[in-house]
Amino acid sequence: MLIEHLDPVASSLFSLLAIASLLLAFVMLGSGWLKNYLYAFAAESWVIAIISAASGFYGHYPELYVIAVLTWLFRGMLLPYLIWRIIHRLDVNREIHVILQPSMSLVIGALFVMFALAVSNRVATVFHLQLTVAVLALTVMLSMKLIGFLMLAVRHEAISQILGLLVLENGIFLGSQVLVPGMPLLIEMVILFDLLIVVVCFGVLVRYLKTHAGTTSSLDLKRLVG
Amino acid sequence: MSARDVLLQIAQVVTVMSLAPLIQGVIAQFEERIQRGRGPGVLQPYRDLWKLFHKGVVVPQTASWLFWAAPVIAFTAMLTVPLLIPVLTNYPLPLSDMGDILGGGLILTLGSFVLVLAGLDTSSAYGGIGSSRAVMVAILAEPTLIVVFVGITLLAKAMLPFVVNHLLVENWAAYWSPAHLFVVAAFFILLLVETDRMPIHSSSSFEIYMIEEARILEYSGPLLGLIRWASMMKQFILYTIFCNVLVLPWGLSVEGTGLGALGAAGGLVIKFILVAGVVVTVETAQSRLRFYRYQEPLAASFLLAVLSIISTQMS
Repeated sequence: MLIEHLDPVASSLFSLLAIASLLLAFVMLGSGWLKNYLYAFAAESWVIAIISAASGFYGHYPELYVIAVLTWLFRGMLLPYLIWRIIHRLDVNREIHVILQPSMSLVIGALFVMFALAVSNRVATVFHLQLTVAVLALTVMLSMKLIGFLMLAVRHEAISQILGLLVLENGIFLGSQVLVPGMPLLIEMVILFDLLIVVVCFGVLVRYLKTHAGTTSSLDLKRLVG
Repeated sequence: MSARDVLLQIAQVVTVMSLAPLIQGVIAQFEERIQRGRGPGVLQPYRDLWKLFHKGVVVPQTASWLFWAAPVIAFTAMLTVPLLIPVLTNYPLPLSDMGDILGGGLILTLGSFVLVLAGLDTSSAYGGIGSSRAVMVAILAEPTLIVVFVGITLLAKAMLPFVVNHLLVENWAAYWSPAHLFVVAAFFILLLVETDRMPIHSSSSFEIYMIEEARILEYSGPLLGLIRWASMMKQFILYTIFCNVLVLPWGLSVEGTGLGALGAAGGLVIKFILVAGVVVTVETAQSRLRFYRYQEPLAASFLLAVLSIISTQMS
């Protein structure tokens, strides 16, 4: 396993990158503007691409460079561009009806991080992972998943729900890059293309929503139609 | 305890007293320059204080003894804190063991607390508004401050600011660790909040958004001068903690000679000008928020402090 023999500089680099991506997830949670979500998501994907490249460099997995480039191209450029196009065409700028104020959701997110820390400490002791980077990666992975769920739960705009889903996915990807970097190239590529299909399907759905319900907010979808 | 240490201790307090208006003037000048104005000159706060101390005092009829006591207590509190923190020397001076970081925070808060009481004391409408707003902000800023202190304590395994300073000077890994960077970010937001530079504030006393200024509208003459001076010293002290303990812990006097102390004072001014440039840029570049969004920067700061504690638990 790569993370069991890392030098201190590399492990501090990994922890800094992991925490930076967690912070970008919080930026998404605390903002009300869809453009800001999108920029934070793109930046988070770039950070994850750097993590892939770094674990390829330190663990001598040359195929991880391919993954890094693919991550950068797909998650960092193509998906944000597609979502930007949806936002641009539909002319929605911000979350109008908020269930949870941004400050409240930031504090709940902090509680989630604490919960994730407790869980990953537990997991690490069960699996005898004494290393701090492993615990950190587990914590960041779990808390990004929880934040993604929170974004799916408290936001109404269909577009921010797509982004919540993508954050959740980013969390899994980050954890896999740090914890099991030797995961076969094919699986990673399949996941990337899956995401592309998810976003394209979502785009079609959102435009359908716009033409039939006149809005992209899921708040207005109250009537059951047979 | 030698005579030189006692002199240095006094010199720390005198440094804070004498340089605080200068920093205020520099910040005001920066603000004007960024907004393409010319500004009143760096020494204007000294002239203001001189003018205020030569005026008569007008006391409202509704005021009680608190009206007189509050400026004096606030000023004394600001004179006490420089004894506890590394202003000139990087080693503890004779009275430095009176209190740790939490003690310093407590005394700083006491200063704002008496001003809140004084704002309520004269039962004027503006004082009441200012006090209630200040308390609203302070209620949210206080837990964050405590969490930041806990983060610092977990990082350095000590509550004394001198220990934190030594750790950061000697250990590059600790300096660049996520825990330290998060504490710096959280404390920077607190610095903006406590020195009245949140995006909801207005530092001048002409707008309806004023918070700190509204509490002291009833004061005049030397009492107002004392309050102004105390608030400048509070700003100076918070900048000192931010620079000398957290961000730029270098350039303090190690041996405690007179030349070293002078050099440390000069270095302090340079560091403050750097930090003030950043603060003013952030304050000017950021758009004003509605008043009732005052929790958002504080929630962000709280979040950063919690993240810093979590990352200290990792290392």
